Amino acid sequence: MSTPADLQITATERTPEIQLSASNGLFSMKGESYPEDVAAFYGQIVHAVEQLPSVLNKPLEADIAMIYINSSSIKAIFRIFEGFEAVRRAGQPVTVRWHYTDDDDIMQELGEDFKDRFPDLSIEVKAS
Amino acid sequence: MDEQLFDLYDREKRLLAEGPAIIESGDAIEIRAFAERLFERFSKVVRENEDLTRHSDRQEQRLVKLNQNLKTQTRELDQRKTELENLSRQLAKYLPPQIHEALFAGDYDTRIATRRKKLTVFFSDIQGFTQTSENLQPEALTEYLNEYFSEMTQIALAHGATIDKYMGDAMMVFFGDPETLGVREDARACVEMALRMLERLSELQARWRNHGFEHPFEIRIGINTGYCNVGNFGSDQRLSYTIIGGEVNLAQRLESNAEVGGILMSYETWVHVQDMVEVTPRGAIQMKGIARNVQTYLVTGRKQPQQPANYALNHPAGVSIDLDPASLDTLARSQLADQLSDLASRLRTSNE
Repeated sequence: MSTPADLQITATERTPEIQLSASNGLFSMKGESYPEDVAAFYGQIVHAVEQLPSVLNKPLEADIAMIYINSSSIKAIFRIFEGFEAVRRAGQPVTVRWHYTDDDDIMQELGEDFKDRFPDLSIEVKAS
Repeated sequence: MDEQLFDLYDREKRLLAEGPAIIESGDAIEIRAFAERLFERFSKVVRENEDLTRHSDRQEQRLVKLNQNLKTQTRELDQRKTELENLSRQLAKYLPPQIHEALFAGDYDTRIATRRKKLTVFFSDIQGFTQTSENLQPEALTEYLNEYFSEMTQIALAHGATIDKYMGDAMMVFFGDPETLGVREDARACVEMALRMLERLSELQARWRNHGFEHPFEIRIGINTGYCNVGNFGSDQRLSYTIIGGEVNLAQRLESNAEVGGILMSYETWVHVQDMVEVTPRGAIQMKGIARNVQTYLVTGRKQPQQPANYALNHPAGVSIDLDPASLDTLARSQLADQLSDLASRLRTSNE
């Protein structure tokens, strides 16, 4: 059953595919992110993630596999991670898998940065 | 959070907006609590900013590297392009220009494929080349022969010919493929080319004689118009763009039957150029593979344009007549003759 926190956003050339299912405890984000209007694109996602602590009744598993992220999008993803942090504080375990392609050191290091910044979340940075 | 009003820095902005009123209140407890929230938010922003700056630097480094790679690739591509242009220039000497251009434009089909098409075929051959070559030093022979072929090729290309091949001292070209102006215009261009070749050869002969080439090259030319098979012949490994067929053989036969320094053409070519050249009919010839008897014509020269019979009269008395009788019909000419005769009679009687 779909909840207000559920999302299905198809990828475009400039924006990633986003899937969020509160009932299944799943979040995924794949592709490239350099939207023309970062606030407009990420507003709906940040809004949905911030509702998770009140609707989620199982652990959250998040998969993030990005090829390119511009600086404004990173700022928005910080907000998403803060939402994950709020889920954890509300009592649900959160597991984040940060995927990067084997030779992409920029995405690897960005994943490590998120891991350092949110030490209480379980974040796995893995090549795929 | 209001989804519609989402702003990447909304929390920071809200915090800042609270500041003036709290500071103005002078309430130490409130100010302390605000300072703590401000400190916490500021710390987060600084950390985020550190991460963003680091990420931005990494992206920039990648861009610099990509830019360097791009410059290297551009240099390599420029070098490759120069090599290809040089190769293309060299190859152009071995291929008909139309085929060369089509090949490099990507428009040419290199499959083994032929089609039947009405072409005008030209053959030329140096008379007594073997004997001439025995009387010349090889270096001189090479020099004269190269000059001869260069000059003839230049004329052929200027007239839109497709140069099929050089065979020893012979030259085979055709008109009508891959580009055509229509059968008639192709035939006319071919005959005009042949006339220009003979004219140029005559100039070259004079120069060669001055240089000690006592018996310079003389050529015979044969021209025929007819249906040929044209296209790529050969195998997938090695193709030759050429023409074959009985009409091609006929052109060669006409060349061998031509007089030295002359052009012998078939009836099928002559019908397209009869207003261009003066000819003397020669006997009919028969060719294996061609059912008809082929009437032949020897070109004796260009047709001189008809001079219009105009009459002009300018008299000091101010009388001026500029008359083109061809522009008048019979009745008008008769009326004008009567008027002029009458005028002449009156002029004579007025003197008496």
